[in-house]
Amino acid sequence: MDEYIVEMRHITKRFPGVVANDDVSVSIKKGEIFALLGENGAGKSTLMSMLFGMYEPDEGEIFIRGKKVKITSPAQATQLNIGMVHQHFKLVENYTITENIVLGQEPPSRFMGFLPSVDIKGSNKKIAELSKRYGLEVDPRKKIEDISVSTRQRVEILKMLYREAEILIFDEPTAVLTPQEIEFLLDIIRELRNSGKTIILITHKLEEIKKVADRCAILNRGKLVGVLDVASTTTKTMANMMVGREVSFKIEKNPANFGPEVLNVAGLTVKNQDGLQVVKNVSFSVRRGEIFAIAGVSGNGQIEVADAITGLIPASGGTISLNGNDITNSGVRERTVAGISYIPEDRQEVGLVLDFSLAENLAMKKYFREPFCEKGILNNEAFEEHGKRLIEEYDIRSGQGISTTVRSMSGGNQQKAIVAREIELSSELMIFVQPTRGLDIGAIENIHRQILAQRDAGRAILLISLELDEIIGLADTIGVMYNGEMLNIAPAETLTANQVGEYMMGVKAE
Amino acid sequence: MRKDKNTAGRDKNTTINPFVRGAVTILGNEKHQSISIPLFAILLSLLAGAIVILFLGKNPIDSFISLLQGSGILPKAQYAAKKNMLTDFLSMINSLTPMIFAALAVAVALKTGLFNIGISGQMLVAGFAATVTVGYSNLPMAAALPLVLVVGIVFGGAVGALIGWLKHRFNINEVVSSIMLNYIFQYIISFFINSYYMNPVTRQSRQVSAAARLTLTDVELYGLKMDIPLGFILTIPVAFLVLFLLNKTRLGYELKIVGLNRKAAKYAGIKVGKSMVISMAISGALAGLAGVTLYLGTFASIQPRVLTSVGFDSIAVCLLGNAHPIGILFSSLLITIISKGGNYMSSMVGIPQEIAQVITGLILLFSACGAYIRYRVELAKENIGNGKLRIENNGEGGQK
Repeated sequence: MDEYIVEMRHITKRFPGVVANDDVSVSIKKGEIFALLGENGAGKSTLMSMLFGMYEPDEGEIFIRGKKVKITSPAQATQLNIGMVHQHFKLVENYTITENIVLGQEPPSRFMGFLPSVDIKGSNKKIAELSKRYGLEVDPRKKIEDISVSTRQRVEILKMLYREAEILIFDEPTAVLTPQEIEFLLDIIRELRNSGKTIILITHKLEEIKKVADRCAILNRGKLVGVLDVASTTTKTMANMMVGREVSFKIEKNPANFGPEVLNVAGLTVKNQDGLQVVKNVSFSVRRGEIFAIAGVSGNGQIEVADAITGLIPASGGTISLNGNDITNSGVRERTVAGISYIPEDRQEVGLVLDFSLAENLAMKKYFREPFCEKGILNNEAFEEHGKRLIEEYDIRSGQGISTTVRSMSGGNQQKAIVAREIELSSELMIFVQPTRGLDIGAIENIHRQILAQRDAGRAILLISLELDEIIGLADTIGVMYNGEMLNIAPAETLTANQVGEYMMGVKAE
Repeated sequence: MRKDKNTAGRDKNTTINPFVRGAVTILGNEKHQSISIPLFAILLSLLAGAIVILFLGKNPIDSFISLLQGSGILPKAQYAAKKNMLTDFLSMINSLTPMIFAALAVAVALKTGLFNIGISGQMLVAGFAATVTVGYSNLPMAAALPLVLVVGIVFGGAVGALIGWLKHRFNINEVVSSIMLNYIFQYIISFFINSYYMNPVTRQSRQVSAAARLTLTDVELYGLKMDIPLGFILTIPVAFLVLFLLNKTRLGYELKIVGLNRKAAKYAGIKVGKSMVISMAISGALAGLAGVTLYLGTFASIQPRVLTSVGFDSIAVCLLGNAHPIGILFSSLLITIISKGGNYMSSMVGIPQEIAQVITGLILLFSACGAYIRYRVELAKENIGNGKLRIENNGEGGQK
């Protein structure tokens, strides 16, 4: 029996309105990479949160190393050598890497011989050693606010290792990473397994599971569908089991039918808060019925282009016109009304008011118009009807319908809500930034279909994505941004994925 | 039928401390939490107050009763000539009026994510402006009273808008600017009072004309001599107006989005800066109403170099009322009863008046613990929930 380091038996967890886990049993062997696969809201994160002590199961038992345990807090989980890297990192921005890692378990020392203090010097050394041992290069003295997302993730991993975790849980670790960083992370995960750790990987990306995992449990709507041996299973089978129906990986596209130009960006320049040019003299145009995709590695100015077009940040040079009208200096509201929909990169910080109800969020771009508002007075019924219709049409799942607080919804359903709201605006120009980030196959397929339907309905679409596959699959025209410049604009059919990848790395620059 | 279920549940749950269980059942209902938790906080603070009184060797029940007697809720044993419970009650209402307006002022700013700590200063500006323009004029009552209100609203609103604009234009934190403006207005107004409007005997500004005063004083009615606070008539409609503004209007929706998530507000096309200025202007206008009902109502003069404590107490009163306009009506009433009844309590039971202040302080302190109480309740609920679920499942199985 000792073969299994973690056993979760007949786990059931209910939240108001949903059964997040319904009689789920999984057993994980020591030293394996065990993947948990499922759609958004399938209950993967909930299951692991119970293992990490953030929730307690309503029913069921947990055994660690063959012993029955009741894990009531993350601190207790840590004592049982369980560590977790959350999807949203939990780091103190203005502390150094070392300070973050030792936080809560600071090695004591005496300042000037008597004042209690933290032994930062010793810790720095220890962290440096630890990072070398596992190939997780970091500079322990750097502050979190100054380091990249992938480095932050390494800090989170180091945090677990510092606490001598044997069972490492990764919650969607690749959602925030670029393709290269993902490869690197998967190497690290393999490395960790080889040094004897047990890895639990929560994900909905099939390729990753195929690449690293030994076994894989599939959840669908809170129920365990099956546990598979990854080596002997195809990704297609896994996908079908996860979604519960046949899925097609191919994006079916109708031939393009371009109309007149909708968006014209000429010589756009944008400066960030420090006065640095993050977008340099970028020009492009998007026609009706066209998907114009901007490819690029994260942080090369793509987001700023979208923000400048929608008016969230000012353009310091160049012009932006919509249907021939100069909107360079218009307000956000004017641009929305003139016909721009925008699905922003950051859903929770920008796209939603988390403490508002779903109905209120779904009306966020329309509330000032009739029938939502007449002479300054809001019409609740209009909010409700609109909300109910969108929930129905876009299959937004939430615990308490339109009155659900958006904060309590899963990430995928939050994204569905934003997509629903923005498509409902029927704007001539639709800007999608990372529309499928963090979503599962079923939801991705769904959003891709919606984007294509909008294109076929004659809308101009600007798609900004870090996923090369998404860009190759959807785009009619591809522009690649590198270091704030638009390196190349070409019809999609003339480019291969490799060529785009090379532009993204700046290889073909000059 | 409901009774059966309750008793059945209780029998089976003997393992869990019944007191904790009861508290959790009452406080755990999320629908009523906005009311039950402040009530629980008040209960705790009264208990704490009772302990303090016990330490002084007095009877807490008598003390609390005398608080109510002093504020005209319960009859006193005897009254002076031309006084009775009604006159006491009206006198309490007279103090209550500015508190309600001030707490509403805090709430409007709070919903927009702004902390208006300058209520006292805005009250003073409004009160002073109304005093020198209308209070010292010969206008008849029919013209003077509406004018007092308008001047109060306009001047209070202007100061509020100034704070909002400073934040919007120069990104000056509203807490800093409003505290500084408090000082600036306090001393400028003291200067004018000392130089031009001083009554040398009282060392305060000269009294405003009776026609301009929002409280009718010494009205002889049914053989009683009472003060009738006209301003109070406005409090309840204004509270409902604020409620309507926040929940039913486009402006309120925008203010709340700005309060909850500024980035999302900008993304939705809301002009964040403008919203903050408007919110502070409304907050200041309400503070202006508080100012005129205090300086041209409860009192008829302004004491130089003193900022009223109403503006600061109102912050806690607003929080005790969950920043909800109707909640604020009740929390203002409670705090005013205690502070107003404190006088009588000290003379009747022999408790120093400071103790009444201590109890008020305790209530405000406990009211700030609302979030903590909610957290504990959730925790306890989860613990009990784990046990209860099993029992309920068994129970249902048995019945079927």
